[in-house]
Amino acid sequence: MNPFASPVSLNMQGQYNTSNTHKYSVILPTYNERKNLPIIVWLLAKVFEEHQLAWEIIVVDDASPDGTQEVAIELARAYGEDKILLRPRAGKLGLGTAYVHGLNFCTGDFVIIMDADFSHHPKFIPQFIRLQQAHNLDIVTGTRYRSKSTPYLSDSQPGGVHGWDLKRKLVSRGANFLAATMLNPGVSDLTGSFRLYRLPVLKHIITLTQSRGYVFQMEMMVRARALGYTVGEVPITFVDRIFGESKLGADEVVGYAKGVWQLFKSV
Amino acid sequence: MARLHRVLLYSSIFVSLYLLVLFQVLPVPLIDAGTVQDILPVLPWWLLVSFGSYSLWTLGWGVFTFRDCPEAYQELLQEINEAKNDLRSRAVTVD
Repeated sequence: MNPFASPVSLNMQGQYNTSNTHKYSVILPTYNERKNLPIIVWLLAKVFEEHQLAWEIIVVDDASPDGTQEVAIELARAYGEDKILLRPRAGKLGLGTAYVHGLNFCTGDFVIIMDADFSHHPKFIPQFIRLQQAHNLDIVTGTRYRSKSTPYLSDSQPGGVHGWDLKRKLVSRGANFLAATMLNPGVSDLTGSFRLYRLPVLKHIITLTQSRGYVFQMEMMVRARALGYTVGEVPITFVDRIFGESKLGADEVVGYAKGVWQLFKSV
Repeated sequence: MARLHRVLLYSSIFVSLYLLVLFQVLPVPLIDAGTVQDILPVLPWWLLVSFGSYSLWTLGWGVFTFRDCPEAYQELLQEINEAKNDLRSRAVTVD
């Protein structure tokens, strides 16, 4: 039998005796996240401290009127000015530019992007990190559609969603099918935005992407694949809209289809 | 080369091959000519129907196997409560 495929060997992958000396930066674009921000920071801090990882969170706030920045300053006082960095902007300028802005202040060598509204749970970050270390990947992305990780990771739990009705699931699967047929991206969840990137990889890709919204995340993944960067996937659970309602109108569907067509033409 | 251009290139090669065989400019080896003339005109429709049924199957199977995770939701609610209590003790405003 192949000893490298034995259970012991597979379990060992990604775990090392020496501590992990990389620093992980989390970029959190916020707009009116006064209620969610402290809790997401608490969850992130808990996960990073438990696994003894060097971390920082960069809060890119787009001039929220509800006091998000005050909460961020209180959090910086509680956790340390070197751990919670508030880097606000003058107005609501969009997600892509928020990442570019945040990247200017990153002192880590890996960047994690995620949503600040609890749909992405920080407990999956150690699995991302472990997969990245086991296979020296450039990008690790979370997938809601798979139950096993690609490449293999022994402690991955099956992915899933909460709070989606049948129609939403059908739309989601349809959108992914369309994108997969047209673009053949090699990942099962193209519109997901819970990802771990190597810093230079993210900087490179973000200079090339031109679209916005859902398509922005998709474009980053497609461009990364086209440039030859290695990508792995870890199943995640996605709890949608714990506060508030999800909107998916006809405009968004048309915009999405146009975005897929643009990518088909240009990458 | 962008994906669109690759797809156009391959499809134009295949379409021209198909048309050449259909109009009997090129012979198909190893198969009887009569059978070839029976099958060829319906080949595009067969491809379309096959793609349609493959898509339907993929979508249906995908929606059927789409996992729900209620336990993740419950766990998250508990963690939110725990977080709020801890943060109040650290002088951070949570409401």
